[in-house]
Amino acid sequence: MALSKSEDNMDNMKPTLQHTLEEFKDCADILHRTLPETGIDMVFFEHLVGSDQFTRDVAIPFMDANGDDVKRLLNRSQYEEMNTNKPFIKAILEGAVAIFHNDRSYVVYVSKPEARSIQQSETEAIITGPHDSFNEVAEINMSLIRRRVKSSHLKSILLEVGEVTKTRVYVLYLDDLANMEYVNELQSRIEKIEIDSVLDGNMLVQYIDDFPNSIFPLIPTTERVDAAVSRLVAGRIIVVVDGSPSVISAPASFFEFFSSPDDYYQRWMLGTATRLLRFIAFIITVTFTAMYVSVTTFHYEMIPEDLLLTLTESRSRVPFPPIYEALLLEATIELLREAGARLPTKIGQTIGIVGGIVIGQAAVQAGLTSNILIIAVASSAIASFVIPSYVMSASIRLIRFGLIILASVLGNLGLMMGIVMVIIHLAGLTSLKASYLTPIAPMNVKDWRDVFIRSPFAWLKERPSMSKSPNMRRNKMKQ
Amino acid sequence: MIPLRKKALLLQLFAALLVLSGCGDEKILERLGFIHTAGYELVPAENSGEPDKLRVTIAVPKADPEGKIKRETMTAVVATSKEARIELSRQTELSLVSGQLRSTLFGAALARKGIGEHIDTFVRDPAISQRVKITVVNGNVQHLLNKRYAEHPRPGQYIDRMLDKEAEAMMIPNVTLYDFTRDYYDDGIDAVAPIIREKGKDITIDGIALFQGDRYVARIDPDDSLIFAILRQNFKRGEMSINLNSLGYGKEKLLFSSMVSSRKIKVNRGENGGLSVQIRMLVKGSVLEYVGDLKIGEEEDRHKLEKRIAEYLTSNAQKMIDAMQRHKADSIGIGKHVRNSMSYTEWKSTNWDELYPNIEVRCSTEVVIKNFGKFM
Repeated sequence: MALSKSEDNMDNMKPTLQHTLEEFKDCADILHRTLPETGIDMVFFEHLVGSDQFTRDVAIPFMDANGDDVKRLLNRSQYEEMNTNKPFIKAILEGAVAIFHNDRSYVVYVSKPEARSIQQSETEAIITGPHDSFNEVAEINMSLIRRRVKSSHLKSILLEVGEVTKTRVYVLYLDDLANMEYVNELQSRIEKIEIDSVLDGNMLVQYIDDFPNSIFPLIPTTERVDAAVSRLVAGRIIVVVDGSPSVISAPASFFEFFSSPDDYYQRWMLGTATRLLRFIAFIITVTFTAMYVSVTTFHYEMIPEDLLLTLTESRSRVPFPPIYEALLLEATIELLREAGARLPTKIGQTIGIVGGIVIGQAAVQAGLTSNILIIAVASSAIASFVIPSYVMSASIRLIRFGLIILASVLGNLGLMMGIVMVIIHLAGLTSLKASYLTPIAPMNVKDWRDVFIRSPFAWLKERPSMSKSPNMRRNKMKQ
Repeated sequence: MIPLRKKALLLQLFAALLVLSGCGDEKILERLGFIHTAGYELVPAENSGEPDKLRVTIAVPKADPEGKIKRETMTAVVATSKEARIELSRQTELSLVSGQLRSTLFGAALARKGIGEHIDTFVRDPAISQRVKITVVNGNVQHLLNKRYAEHPRPGQYIDRMLDKEAEAMMIPNVTLYDFTRDYYDDGIDAVAPIIREKGKDITIDGIALFQGDRYVARIDPDDSLIFAILRQNFKRGEMSINLNSLGYGKEKLLFSSMVSSRKIKVNRGENGGLSVQIRMLVKGSVLEYVGDLKIGEEEDRHKLEKRIAEYLTSNAQKMIDAMQRHKADSIGIGKHVRNSMSYTEWKSTNWDELYPNIEVRCSTEVVIKNFGKFM
């Protein structure tokens, strides 16, 4: 958006009442109050300013004041004098009260913006551990992080994204732990974004990641404060976007999407077991239905003798080939899931009953699907919800469909081809120019103790290699 | 990102996948007839001029949601086993596949003639597992598979599981396609196979068939099968009932159980180059049941009993080996030990088949009774 010269001049002019009112012409919600005794004009947006606080702190003092009092009042530190038009207008838009007095103009912030209270995250709920999560106000989110990291090393860069929305974006890092190359790269990427609006962290991610056309999310977002802080401490960079509870952390590896904060709040053996369970769930969700299709279409040899007849019996009622049967049921599950996600909890229960009983039971009795397929599809759907990152679990579900089709065409060969293609694709991806498959490619076995398993803390003495942190040891203080 | 040419190639590949999807050798489960058991037997030609024919019977388990039909058997009388598949598929709506084959049965007459070519066919077919069982049937194979056993709706499965279970107890050797071909093609050992036959409303184990090459030459009685097992291999689980009557010790009977047996074959060379073979067997076990005069709670008597059992085992083993030598069937693999005792050139110049019946084989047994129960 190129600015014309006259507008440009306007931006640098001294703010005046007339010009301000001109700027906000046709805004029904702008308020203009005049106090004739003291020659004061106030301009502000009614609903951005807390009215109680405005009356108490601004309106009453000025109404009661005479000429000298006004000067004294305006010298107080909260009244900020503005000499150029542009920041002045911006301040009004951010909820400040503009005060004009004797050709001089001031702004005063009388109220914090309204925000949702700090609640538990619904998408990333855990059982033990801190329950607070980010909300939509960047400043509150910043305060949540600062409260946890009491260090002067926690640096922040304020950027603005969105030509229209002017969304505030904070880039946070610990300057003794984060690699500055990543910081600079991330900052320059955010600065290069040209778009009218950014409404969510997950949306911002797609403007800054290395492969926007990949099906996999390359930069994770989290609503959990503890998760964000743990990444910060691991030497990653955190980005807080105003208006979004999703906080970005970069760079990240594929495997990071499979770890959850409560891995660290439980005993290490349990943490390890749940983490392994998630990787198994990943394999199940990607391959189970495809396996069913390939086995029933091509590889009858693979079926154990005792299962063979039950499988054949349930298949023999179904009029479609396995591929249509599987796609039908997978699509139904996706419908159920999508419907359940949009509906309030009370109606959501109905969906569960309709889906579970009507579709599960009746479809088998009606001879539309075999009951073994129901098991396969249901277990892979459940497995997909085990993956803690919602974005990743959605991506994985989509990959499944490709594999099912490949399996129906070429059997296990097709399934294998599909898996190999996914692995090749994964190996080519990068997150902020760091390899996405770290620590497998490049291989770093040391990192495995905090990737595939959750080792006891005594073993976790180094930061992950992906951070390329200048300070790799985590327990330097005691040495 | 992706170069245009590469993109086009990918597109072509994808299109090919979609278009060609019907062309693969699809084997959709419910349209298949899985041959579970295949039986082969000889049908003597009626006119003496014609060659003998082969009767092939297959058992296909069926999954019929409504019906009570549990299986289907089909029979074809053909000249070669390859023809059978065509002939059999004319009789069914399912496409017959052999990837789930579990066991093959050979009629005794066919086995006596040689089953090498059939084994060869199985090995050649990649769909057929190496773990397919090979069994000889004493009697009519078609009848055995066709018969309706009231208590066993699927005779194929019944036979397969019975053989599995019996092999575990060492009553018969576990003979799969792998074992059979290994022994068949190996120099110093001959293959064996279990024998089954119909018995009233059931099927029963009828001993062990000893092969010479691919021909069935001799049979071991089921009562002696454990002695054969002791001679053939080391094992850790077995049970046998011993009747010491035959040795002249009065009416002494016992059940020897939890047997752990190991055997060593030693090849000695005489001064004039002649070979003699010494088989030493060590059998440990517990006495579950004993009827006789000895007090096996007492050490002296127990040793006496051990001696008697050893004597019983030795004499029966010796008889068995004599019979095997007579039939030129080296079923316990003495040849392998002889081969290992000499150089390659020497072995090559030895005609083992000729030599085997004439060498001296001596058996000795040591028996240890590990325990004998509480109140005796």
